Amino acid sequence: MTDANQAWEELRPGVDRILNKWEEGIHPNEYMTLYTTTYNYCTNSRSTSTDHRAEQKGANLIGGELYAELKRHLEQHLQSITDQGASHMDDSLLVFFTKNWTKFTVSAATLNHIFGYLNRHWVKREIDEGHKTIYEIYILALVSWRDHLFQRLQEKVIKAVLKTIAKQRNGETIDTGLIKTVVESYVSIGLDENDSRKSTLEIYKTYFEAPFIEATEAYYKAESEIFITQNPITEYMKKAEARLKEEEKRVEMYLNPATQKGLITTCESALVKNHTTAIQDEFQTLLDNDRLEDLSRMYGLLCRVPDGLDRLRTIFEAHVRKQGLHAVEKVAESAAAAAAAAAAGTATPPNERGDDDEEDEAPKKKPASAAKKAAGADSAEIDPKLYVDSLLLVHKKYAELVQTAFRGESGFVASLDKACREFVNRNVVCKSSSSKSPELLARYCDSLLRKTSKMAEDNEFEDVLNSVMTVFKYVEDKDVFQKFYSNYLAKRLVNGTSSSDDGETSMLTKLKDACGHEYTNKLQRMFTDMGVSKDLNDSFKEQMERTHEKDDLIDFGVLVLNTSSWPFQPPKSGLNIPDDLLKTYERFQRFYQNKHSGRKLTWLFQFCKGELKTNYTRASKTGYTFQVSTYQMAVLLMYNSATSYALDELLGTTGIGKEVLVPTVGLLVKAKVLSMEGGSSPSAPGVRFVLNEDFKSKKVRINLNLPIKTEQKAESSETHRTIEEDRKLLIQAAIVRVMKTRKTLKHVTLVSEVLTQLQSRFKPQVPDIKKCIDILLEKEYIERADGSKDTYNYVA
Amino acid sequence: MVKLSSSDGREFVVAKEVACQSVLIKNMLEDLGEDSDAPIPLPNVSGPVLEKVIEYATHHKDDAPPPPEDDSKNITKSSEDIEEWDKEFINVDQGTLFEIILAANYLDMKGLLDLGCKTVANMIKGKTVEEIRKTFNIVNDFTPEEEEQIRKENEWCEDR
Repeated sequence: MTDANQAWEELRPGVDRILNKWEEGIHPNEYMTLYTTTYNYCTNSRSTSTDHRAEQKGANLIGGELYAELKRHLEQHLQSITDQGASHMDDSLLVFFTKNWTKFTVSAATLNHIFGYLNRHWVKREIDEGHKTIYEIYILALVSWRDHLFQRLQEKVIKAVLKTIAKQRNGETIDTGLIKTVVESYVSIGLDENDSRKSTLEIYKTYFEAPFIEATEAYYKAESEIFITQNPITEYMKKAEARLKEEEKRVEMYLNPATQKGLITTCESALVKNHTTAIQDEFQTLLDNDRLEDLSRMYGLLCRVPDGLDRLRTIFEAHVRKQGLHAVEKVAESAAAAAAAAAAGTATPPNERGDDDEEDEAPKKKPASAAKKAAGADSAEIDPKLYVDSLLLVHKKYAELVQTAFRGESGFVASLDKACREFVNRNVVCKSSSSKSPELLARYCDSLLRKTSKMAEDNEFEDVLNSVMTVFKYVEDKDVFQKFYSNYLAKRLVNGTSSSDDGETSMLTKLKDACGHEYTNKLQRMFTDMGVSKDLNDSFKEQMERTHEKDDLIDFGVLVLNTSSWPFQPPKSGLNIPDDLLKTYERFQRFYQNKHSGRKLTWLFQFCKGELKTNYTRASKTGYTFQVSTYQMAVLLMYNSATSYALDELLGTTGIGKEVLVPTVGLLVKAKVLSMEGGSSPSAPGVRFVLNEDFKSKKVRINLNLPIKTEQKAESSETHRTIEEDRKLLIQAAIVRVMKTRKTLKHVTLVSEVLTQLQSRFKPQVPDIKKCIDILLEKEYIERADGSKDTYNYVA
Repeated sequence: MVKLSSSDGREFVVAKEVACQSVLIKNMLEDLGEDSDAPIPLPNVSGPVLEKVIEYATHHKDDAPPPPEDDSKNITKSSEDIEEWDKEFINVDQGTLFEIILAANYLDMKGLLDLGCKTVANMIKGKTVEEIRKTFNIVNDFTPEEEEQIRKENEWCEDR
């Protein structure tokens, strides 16, 4: 008997006890004896170590024979367990398998320590020398398990596992601990071929994951196909969502995390991808009925599969556009209806307040016949607030939907933007002219920023401005908005009707943020002029008070505005400045020329106003104060010398053009300040305008300076005309800019470059660009290249 | 506390973290559970040696555990870097020194094993063959021819 045999005989009963009767416990004495036996065997067997290796490699290490004995023993042990396992099936097999695995690994860990000395020296040396089939004792145990038990039982084990998981999917309760242990054992025996101390998932992937995924796919394929035919899509989506959650939890519960990806992809494919079209088909119905929760669920499912959302985005875009157009149609219809009702006769009396321009338009319409009603949208005045609000309502609703149900996904955001741009710029109201949207928006801004608006809370006000900017973002013709906005702003500033500087500044900042400094440049300068004018007035007043008697002065204020920044035209009508004003007029003229010689002052009398105090009225001793336009003032001041004039006399003295004077006087007649005698039409011969000394009013101050309607109408179309002209200039400038940098360019490229340059302002029409090219050819900024029809050269 | 029993039947009661400086004992306590009061027999360690081992383990009980094998491979080991306390501790007669080395190997105490081996290395360093033979009491059993042969083979490493 060799030393090894002897040592093994001593060790064997202990090893058996550790493998089979671990639960009875091992006494420290026995444990130490086993270790010491191994130690003594490995350190003391000098007699057998006189082979040649000793001399070549230094110290010879003993242990190979003992290792072989142990290996054989482990294999026998596992064979006998495997034989017992052959009789088990399904659940009982899983119980048997996991119980033995747990027991075996605990025993193996102890054996690993008992044979620790063998591990530390002989095994270590063998591994260092590259012997791939020698393992540390614990690994040896795992390898033996893999090669002798696992290989024979694994087919039955995975079958049992899959059966159990199917049971759980069907709603039965199972012992998940069993599967968890099986998974752990599969992972543990996956050893790296090159380094047995490292592990791989190879065994788990091949023998567990692959069949598991296959079974999962089959299970859900069958389930989903039946379920979807027997239930509405909304129910199916709930089911699919629940199933996906369940599978994710399954991974957490008892699978290896590495399985997550493959499992979920498989489920997504079986549950969602295979039914993509059926699910997408339901989208429109859900949108129509605002089924937020179902929409959110649908998004959650379809975003999991590639290209699942594309069709939804298209449908969504069309839907939003339809909703937007529909909302605008409603606004147009109600406006048309109001116009028709007003025009039909007496329903709405002419509005006399006159400060609400849009309402005044209604009575001017001819009675609308039923046939004309459809087209009424074109001509009927749209309430800007109603219009903007209805645009916003649609945007808000679907922006919220995108944020909540579609989790703000960028594709849907883009679809929403596209749809909004469509219905903001091309709807029934804009049919006649695409610039209607920016015009209405600008008017809405005006109504917000004017004094009359009732905005209580600052926060609320900011919100409203922000919502205006939301619409503004979608407006294509930003230049139109700019034009109208600057018109309204100019009036607010000149008439002092702006509600607050803060509000104006806030809006201006927003526009600047959205479109850049250049866009708001002119608007900004208007504010600057206002400030400069204030200082100017102060110093003028100061100088007048120093150089003149108090009685000689009248209360006078002036705004000096830069022609290039303000959208004002010089007055069309002349005016002989009344004597009472002439002195002040000349003084200021001198004062200003002194300060800035060479500057030309144009007096915009059509915007001027003043106050007159009466002392002739019989009804009131204290008299009334009339707030009047300069033209009205010129007329009324004439009545200081006489109480009755013919139209021609008024025309002659005031120097005001007839087309302006007639409506001006008309307002005075209407207010009963003057009375018309000898006829019913102002221009009829023999008609005289007589001062009404019986004028009576409850108010002490009376505003006679009301806007003249024809003026407003003209203004709007005037604005549109100037926009057209401005655009031509902008296009020409763009063409020159492009040509200057490129020198030579083909027609098509030039057009497309011009289009991109101007995009942020408006969308130029290609024929317009062509016209401008022709103009520039004529002006010889550019020329046609020799021998080519469609190429241009820049002429320096 | 853990009870240790030496080959000559002496019992030592030490704190668990002291005993666990030995990987052997540490593994055993983990394998068997901790509720056993029975003394742990150490049949290969004599009482006096075990006493020295415990002295060492007590002093080093708070040391950081040694780094894993792979990481320490690159660190050049030197027989010079011995702590003062350790130097004093290992300053014993040769017989005890060898017994401590054997015990450290048996008990799987890497620190103590290294200390012992370094000490032996230092005893060899800088000595001629004759001196080494004298130090370790080794009888020269080479024939003069064999000795000449070895000297020739190792000529390259002679310190000239």
